Amino acid sequence: MEQRFLDPKVLAGLGNLALTARTVVDGFISGLHRSPDFGFSQEFAEYRPYSLGDDLRYVDWNVFARTERAYLKRYRGETNTRLTILLDRSRSMGFQRGGVRKIDYARMAAASVAYLGHHQRDAVGVITFDDEVRDFVAPSSRHGQLPRVLHALERSEPGARTDFARPFHYFQEFLRWRGVVLVVSDFYAPPVDIVKTIAPLRHRGNDVILFHVLDPEEIEPKLGEPRLLVDMETGEQLEVAPEYAADFYQKRMAAHIAELKKEAEAAGLSYQLLQTDRPLDEALREYLIVRQGRL
Amino acid sequence: MGLLAPGFLAAFALLGLPLWLHLLKRHKSIPLEFSSLMLFERHAISSVKSRKLDYLILLALRLAVLALLALAFAQPFLERQGAAAGSGAVRLFVIDVSASMNAGDRLERARKDALQAIGAMKSGERGQVAYFDRQLHLVTQPVADPEALRAAVRAARAGDERSSYGELSKALRGYATTTKAPVEAHLFSDMQRSALPDGFSELSLGATTKLVLHKAGSRAEANFTVENVQAPRRLQDPAKARMEAIVAGFANDAATVPISLVVNGRVAATKPVAVPAKGKAKVEFIGLDVPYGWSRCEVRVEARDALAADDNFYFAVERSDPRKILFLYGPRAQRSVLYFQSALGAAAEAAFTVEAQSSSLAPQINPAAIAFVVLSDPGELNPGLEAALQAYVKGGGAVWIALGTSSSALRKVPVSGEAVKGSRFANRSGDRFFTLASADENYPSMRRANRWEGVRFFQTVSADPGEAKVVARLNDGTPILYEKRIGEGRVLVFASDFDNTASDFPLHASFVPFVEQTSRYLAGEEERAPLLAAGTAYELRAADARVSSVEVIAPDGSRALSLEESARVPAVIVEKRGFYEVNRGAGRQELVPVNIDRRESNLELIPEESLALWQGSGSEGAPGTAAAEEAETALRRQNFGLGFLWAALALAVVESLWSSRHLTMTKETA
Repeated sequence: MEQRFLDPKVLAGLGNLALTARTVVDGFISGLHRSPDFGFSQEFAEYRPYSLGDDLRYVDWNVFARTERAYLKRYRGETNTRLTILLDRSRSMGFQRGGVRKIDYARMAAASVAYLGHHQRDAVGVITFDDEVRDFVAPSSRHGQLPRVLHALERSEPGARTDFARPFHYFQEFLRWRGVVLVVSDFYAPPVDIVKTIAPLRHRGNDVILFHVLDPEEIEPKLGEPRLLVDMETGEQLEVAPEYAADFYQKRMAAHIAELKKEAEAAGLSYQLLQTDRPLDEALREYLIVRQGRL
Repeated sequence: MGLLAPGFLAAFALLGLPLWLHLLKRHKSIPLEFSSLMLFERHAISSVKSRKLDYLILLALRLAVLALLALAFAQPFLERQGAAAGSGAVRLFVIDVSASMNAGDRLERARKDALQAIGAMKSGERGQVAYFDRQLHLVTQPVADPEALRAAVRAARAGDERSSYGELSKALRGYATTTKAPVEAHLFSDMQRSALPDGFSELSLGATTKLVLHKAGSRAEANFTVENVQAPRRLQDPAKARMEAIVAGFANDAATVPISLVVNGRVAATKPVAVPAKGKAKVEFIGLDVPYGWSRCEVRVEARDALAADDNFYFAVERSDPRKILFLYGPRAQRSVLYFQSALGAAAEAAFTVEAQSSSLAPQINPAAIAFVVLSDPGELNPGLEAALQAYVKGGGAVWIALGTSSSALRKVPVSGEAVKGSRFANRSGDRFFTLASADENYPSMRRANRWEGVRFFQTVSADPGEAKVVARLNDGTPILYEKRIGEGRVLVFASDFDNTASDFPLHASFVPFVEQTSRYLAGEEERAPLLAAGTAYELRAADARVSSVEVIAPDGSRALSLEESARVPAVIVEKRGFYEVNRGAGRQELVPVNIDRRESNLELIPEESLALWQGSGSEGAPGTAAAEEAETALRRQNFGLGFLWAALALAVVESLWSSRHLTMTKETA
């Protein structure tokens, strides 16, 4: 039942990122509730006065009846944290083979995480980039923050080439708060350089999660005949034989993924490979593990 | 170069099929966006250039296979160099040198016609000369030198052998196959009808052989011949010798022809013989005044006729004193000498004397001095004597063994070696005697012996004859008489004795011819004079016999065999008429008369229709006709169709292997 809500194709068909994110998160959480071993804590922590705009579902009505004052229940795990989503919107993220576009999948994953974080009272922000920072929504938990974040995600269309160096240099200057940094990208750069660029974020006390978004066709390309491949970012062309794609390229891709994971984990970064044909629960699960560890 | 079936070249249109397929499948570089080429290498494998090369190779292979198939079915051929019309043919000039060519001027006419035919050869044409009688003899190599051919023709001489057109046709078929070229065979012969084979199909020639007949005889001339002579080969009393000759006439009118008996070159008697037209007559001569030893005799036609070579019929006679039989008797068989000698003495002709000795004395065996040896119930023989007898038999001698009571205790029969089973006593059976049950009537010992009528055997010695020839058996199955060949000689075993102890045979009249005929047989006097025709084989030794050399002197005094052949060959071909001297060593010598095959005496010609049929059995018609040219053309052309077919098959295999490589990669990619 839960998978129906998490199938990327189905979700992409919703056409509404907010609805998509909500569908994903609700479905995910309902599944978590039925899994007592997951470890998601629902233990009551404290009351917080109700502010205009808060979700009325969390108002403790018993308390209101007694005190005629509205208080929200706060649970364990609801400790505020800052979630900054860094979304790669370079041209390569526009790749699609049969499933959903990587950028769409990345947006859905980012939106879901943002929704989940907002659901947990985290301050959520988003920065989109390609070779430059293209959009920026500072993390906040104020009313209306989530729509702003989702809107920023929605308008993120594949742009220029990938260049981690300049945006992340900016991030290092800009991200002065501690929290969770989620980098959603296809990471087409040497793993050592990627980790070297991103690792400083970790050094500032942030928990960094790398969501490596790839289309299955990028991992195991199936060329029935020789094709002239055109690099979506550089425009470079290369005629490739099916035998090469079936053998050598796949090995190189697997090695790239393994190396990136190894380098990331060695640098204390969390790594999760997200294939665009896989449900989004893996993304959310990874976020929760990291957030739970942070608490 | 040409094509036998050019229509199949239309199959070249099929070459468009692989071209079209390859064009369809030709790699079109349709651009395809890919997220990043960061992980792609500019590598030879990643490039499609190698695949393009593979495609080109595959295309070339497929085109080549189709092209080769089309060519294979079109049957391309190459003309052999120098193969102009008729220039590849060999002219074979075959001259009949059989005995009948001695008649009149037949040989001369044949030589003359052959020389004319050689003169008609074109420059550069190859010719070959052969003689033929009972087989074809190639005298020259295929040469373009007419003078060499003429010399061979001039050297042709008629021999004594008969002709055979069946053998000639067979040889020509083989010649055409070997030569691999059209053959134009010119036959210069008297076309004797008696040389035709029994079946006309034996005259068929190959499709590439053209037969041109040149008749050397124009008609069947009258001819007389002594067809056969019945005469004793050996005699002791010349006055009693009786010779009977058959005189035959061919294409003759009834005539009286003088016939002479010639002994050692001297006319002993002449008789006029009335020979009917195309018939036969018989003449008899009594008495033959010959010296001791071998004499060369002949019965001769004294009249002049077409063929003189067949006027003589040779026969050889050996005069000798009664020959000695060495009779060795065992300790209990002394009485058998009396019965044996009496039987020989009662014979019509006293051809033998008997020298009786006890077998214990171990006498010397002199093969030249004795006709054969009789062992009468010898018992255990002295080993030296037994060895000497075995050597004597192997060298061509004969031993007659009578097994009596002393022999029943032996383990094996002396000299011949069969196992002795023991005595059989008739008094233990119902009739109290055994009688003859079965016998080979044609065996010399059984002729004129009246099947041993009334003879009773009371005791016999049973031996296992093994591979020996059983001549007679008694009613209890005991082989009573059997012969075993050992080397050049033979051993005859009589499972009883010669006296009247074990049987009453000596008391019966049949005992005399039994002893006399057997003695003549073992002494070799049963042999009739061999009737050998020139060109046939005379047996010198049994195939498995290992004996000393046999020397053969031909009628002209030359050695008929080389030293090696004289020790090895089982037979000799007697090619000339006359007397061959055969020396077998140990003093054994004989004269072998050889005469012309009397089929050569009939000079009747083959009918024209038969000749025409024979000629037509080869390549039809004269040179230049369609069939002859077609056959000649077929020989000249070297067809490559099969070669192209094999090449197509080989390329198809390569194409399959090459394309399967791509099929494998395509499957892996999918």
